[in-house]
Amino acid sequence: MTGAIADDLLTAQASADPYAVFDALRREDPVHWSGPHRAWLVTRYADVSAAFADKALSNDRVRPVLAKQREERERNENQHGARRAEAGGDDGRPASASERVLALMSGWMVVSDPPVHTRLRKLAAGAFKGQRIAVMDARITALVDELLDGFLRGSGEQDLISEVAYPLPATVIATMLGAPPSDRDLFREWSDELALVAFGTGGAARAERHERALRGLNEMDAYFRGLVAQRRAEPGEDMLSAMMSTDESDTQTSRDGLSDDELVAMCALLLFAGHETTTNSIANATLALLRDPAALAALREDPSLLNTAVEELLRYDGPIKVINRWVVAETELAGRTILPGERVHLVLASADRDPDKFADPDTLDLTRSPNPHVAFGKGIHACIGAQLARMETRIAVGRIVERLPGLALAREPVWKDALASRSMETLVVTH
Amino acid sequence: MRIGVDSNVCEAHGQCSVVDMDLFPLDDDGYSAVGPDATVPEGEEDVARIGVESCPVRALSVLEQE
Ligand code: HEM
Ligand code: SF4
Repeated sequence: MTGAIADDLLTAQASADPYAVFDALRREDPVHWSGPHRAWLVTRYADVSAAFADKALSNDRVRPVLAKQREERERNENQHGARRAEAGGDDGRPASASERVLALMSGWMVVSDPPVHTRLRKLAAGAFKGQRIAVMDARITALVDELLDGFLRGSGEQDLISEVAYPLPATVIATMLGAPPSDRDLFREWSDELALVAFGTGGAARAERHERALRGLNEMDAYFRGLVAQRRAEPGEDMLSAMMSTDESDTQTSRDGLSDDELVAMCALLLFAGHETTTNSIANATLALLRDPAALAALREDPSLLNTAVEELLRYDGPIKVINRWVVAETELAGRTILPGERVHLVLASADRDPDKFADPDTLDLTRSPNPHVAFGKGIHACIGAQLARMETRIAVGRIVERLPGLALAREPVWKDALASRSMETLVVTH
Repeated sequence: MRIGVDSNVCEAHGQCSVVDMDLFPLDDDGYSAVGPDATVPEGEEDVARIGVESCPVRALSVLEQE
């Protein structure tokens, strides 16, 4: 093993420029055991692709944690039988806020394997069908323009993330779920809280925030439950109503529709999976264009480049650096034996810069086609919201470059020290 | 309208299926199961076209416009 290779993706330097680290890993040790991460780092396109198809690699990672928590609680309760009724944990309801949130997340398709995954995905798919997304075009354009109107009223240095890229996707999801406009700010808060709990790193300083987030998510749970009840009584044109209808012609997987619990979990998943990713997609795309004035000028000149441009911007600096898999059976990747119980990090951002797959991978080529990037993943879990995410990115980037002709970077952005996402703290610009 | 997949080209990106899971089914490994020659139900031609175009490696094609 190459001992000296830099394999900590969480240093400030690696967060600022992960691509240099990925380059070295791809060249020197493409399936690399990283001590700092206690996980395999898979950095070549071909190996990431193979891993997406490998049934020894599982997405089912929350259920085991939940089972352990429950087991511990039950053991405690048996030891302190008298306190049991007091704690209110006797009707099968999870006792703690943390267990309730974990129970909600454990039902997400993204942390499920077939056949559980197959059924959930099939039932959700109706809500993402072509026509349903297509009708969002005008709505999203109006939302982007409204946000840009506000942005243009300001002057001097402003943060494009907090003003535009961040509020847009939360509002889109709230709209699609059929929530009243006045509730949209709640969606933003819950999205932050979900991220905090899902990626939550420990540390005493964070413990209090974590507790607050859990309380917030219990409110979210109650809110979505109310929304589900409302739509059950009165179905509408929204995604939630679409996910309630079952396909009676299907005898295999989807005959039993989603339960209320499953619909609540689905709402939370859509918010979690569709918010920060899309924010970063818009922000990273804008930054890449600001750093490449020729590409920016070409796009302004010829807006018909937008479709291939969006794919290329997702490839070049996409929102997700790393996707996790758990090893459930011995397998092999690029000649390395991977053992059950180990973790595998699929480094999407590295695969998308692999010179064996993409010519001149470090060059932003807005006309690149075909462009089989893996920013949306691959195989059975490939992003179900990809068409929506593309549309949001296309409209936001298109309107930003058109309506802000004087757009310029005001400050060097600071990248968050995050493993999973490629995410800036702020994108401060002038216009 | 008829569509088909070239299974030698399909790389299991799953992007077609994201557009419409019924028009563009996948097999258990995530490869397109649409087959070399499938008929698109009437009224779904536009969605089928979006799905065909969404394939990043152009494994799908429209065989006949009707
Ligand atoms: C540019 C923005 C986005 C990117 C880069 C992205 C990326 C991804 C990736 C890589 C996966 C695969 C996860 C895995 O294999 O474990 C995924 C799954 C998923 N995404 Fe997205 N996503 C984006 C936006 C959205 C949006 C807008 C929504 C919905 C509103 C969404 C909903 C989902 C869901 C529900 C899954 C789980 C699918 C499954 O497990 O079968 N995503 N996404
Ligand atoms: S999008 Fe293309 S490569 Fe992906 S599954 Fe469909 S046909 Fe295959």
